[in-house]
Amino acid sequence: MNGIGRFAASAATYGFLGLMAFLSIFPFIWMVLGATNSSIDIIKGKLLPGAAFATNVGNFFTLVNVPLVFWNSAKIAILATVLTLAVSSLAGYGFEMFRSRGRERVYRAMLLTLMIPFAALMIPLFVIMGKAGLINTHIAVVLPSIGSAFVIFYFRQSTKAFPSELRDAAKVDGLKEWQIFLFIYVPVMRSTYAAAFVIVFMTAWNNYLWPLIVLQTNETKTITLVISSLASAYYPDYGVVMVGTILATLPTLAVFFFMQRQFVQGMLGSVK
Amino acid sequence: MDIQARAYLPRIAALALAGASFLGVSAAQAKEITIWCWDPNFNVAIMKEAGDRYTKTHPDVTFNIVDFAKLDVEQKLQTGLSSGTADALPDIVLIEDYGAQKYLQSFPGAFAPLSGTVDYSGFAPYKVELMTLDGEVYGMPFDSGVTGLYYRKDYLEAAGFKPEDMQDLTWDRFIEIGKQVEAKTGKKMMGLDPNDAGLVRIIMQSAGQWYFHKEGKPNITGNAALKAALETIGKIMQANIYKPANGWSDWVGTFSSGDVATVVTGVWITGTVKAQPDQSGNWGVAPIPALSIEGATHASNLGGSSWYVLESSEEKAEAIDFLNEIYAKDIDFYQKILQDRGAVGSLLAARGGAAYEAADPFFGGEKVWQNFSEWLAKVPSVNYGIFTNEADLAVTAQLPAVTQGTPVDEVLKAIEAEIAGQIQ
Repeated sequence: MNGIGRFAASAATYGFLGLMAFLSIFPFIWMVLGATNSSIDIIKGKLLPGAAFATNVGNFFTLVNVPLVFWNSAKIAILATVLTLAVSSLAGYGFEMFRSRGRERVYRAMLLTLMIPFAALMIPLFVIMGKAGLINTHIAVVLPSIGSAFVIFYFRQSTKAFPSELRDAAKVDGLKEWQIFLFIYVPVMRSTYAAAFVIVFMTAWNNYLWPLIVLQTNETKTITLVISSLASAYYPDYGVVMVGTILATLPTLAVFFFMQRQFVQGMLGSVK
Repeated sequence: MDIQARAYLPRIAALALAGASFLGVSAAQAKEITIWCWDPNFNVAIMKEAGDRYTKTHPDVTFNIVDFAKLDVEQKLQTGLSSGTADALPDIVLIEDYGAQKYLQSFPGAFAPLSGTVDYSGFAPYKVELMTLDGEVYGMPFDSGVTGLYYRKDYLEAAGFKPEDMQDLTWDRFIEIGKQVEAKTGKKMMGLDPNDAGLVRIIMQSAGQWYFHKEGKPNITGNAALKAALETIGKIMQANIYKPANGWSDWVGTFSSGDVATVVTGVWITGTVKAQPDQSGNWGVAPIPALSIEGATHASNLGGSSWYVLESSEEKAEAIDFLNEIYAKDIDFYQKILQDRGAVGSLLAARGGAAYEAADPFFGGEKVWQNFSEWLAKVPSVNYGIFTNEADLAVTAQLPAVTQGTPVDEVLKAIEAEIAGQIQ
């Protein structure tokens, strides 16, 4: 009786977990299956692998200048990530390390900006970029994101765990502040950088609204814009859209899996 | 440590410089016309064709056709116009007809009037009307959504109806036929998405009315055509001759899988209907059924879009000349885009060309394009106004009430109240 009860309980647990796993993985399966089917089969709701994969890939590569589009996306995502990490980690470091009277007030004001929706900032930002002559440049896509209140917040919180003895010791050894930051803080905070890298890279790679507003030509467009345009045709070729979506997902997946390992290593490193 | 740091610095500086240099973009070239539109297989491809034709006679003008999603074009246009950043706008932009008046009225002076250049008498009158504001005509009419009744000849024959019986129906007769089709073949008469007000718009415009009066005031409770449209949909629901569809793909599925006997929609669906080669020869196209009220016709429209030239454009003169030379004069161009892309333009003279006169074996040898272009000229002109999308949402929200049998007058009152709330 007890055995049956336990069996039923674990069956229910696994059943529930299985269902949840299925629900979360189903869109992905559907995407992959969709890439192998013709558009009309997808509309009809076919859920079996089809034979149209090569055709869909071929069509995607004819419709889209794939290397250029990926280069644009990669350029923006990598630049945005590197600059955001550099600027925002410095700010986070500064907020935690230096005491001053206005510090908390400035910090809170900065956090408040998290509550302003981007849609409200869009037109003023656009005017600024227009005045600066940066419309249709990738730098205009990257610039507004590098002083990220969220990443600054994240770095400040993590910096609280940074042992102040390290900084004191470095000072005694005669290091200047920027040297402490570059040669002590950055290596010690590897794990924080890794996690922030994953977050910022994904946001930048998937960013949609701002690149849409600021980029004007086919030559500067990113993968998200291209997929959106493919998907909104009067008769979208869903097979082709699925191929594009899979390709667009790969870099974020790769970054995530790769950085996951770095993340763990970084954690071990910082404990030592 | 210090030495190491000094060694790093120049490298960091060099990296930063490299970063700055590879972000630079090339400057725009002279006499390049930039165009925004949204469908790579349709208006983008058609604009490329138009551009190629123009460049042949005007080698100094080149084209930069940029495709974004339709909503994205609207978003970008809105941002560009609101911010007053003119160099962020294209020279020519494609705008959906339902939204044309919204842009023309919200951004006065933003679009170039073409009345002085283009001879509009050659176009379908309803297309010209929707882009007219204060006596000036602003756009270049492009694709039409002239409607038709696509029907399965095989199903209707099995129910005892010949193609002659499908011509010039009334909606009541259509429902009658639907009942018999279901009794004899088990097939539903049409697919219907209860969350899509497209059919309401088709029926309403076929009787020459719209959600708004000519001067822009809401026209709901006193709108006989809207009332009759809602009543018709109520009757279709009651007679249960429809297959419910959930969303666009599902609706397309109702006829591509052969589950329904007819489709009432815009001419742009032809390509999708023909995407089922196994149904070749089984389809026919008739004029849509008419209401039994004053002003009722068998012609209407669903969707469609037109080209607009931005007043701020540096290449304004070239852009206008280009649209005029190709879209208002080149009959052969219209044959090409019909053949390659299934696009029915709004230039009435285009019907004289070979592609329009061809018989289509898929439709049992009917000259469907000739028929459509004949109906095109008859589509009643209405004022789409600036709040068509808002009105459409209000109607969609009230459609379930119609299906539940709420008296139509009450539904109209609810729609009017909702619109009044939305547009104030």
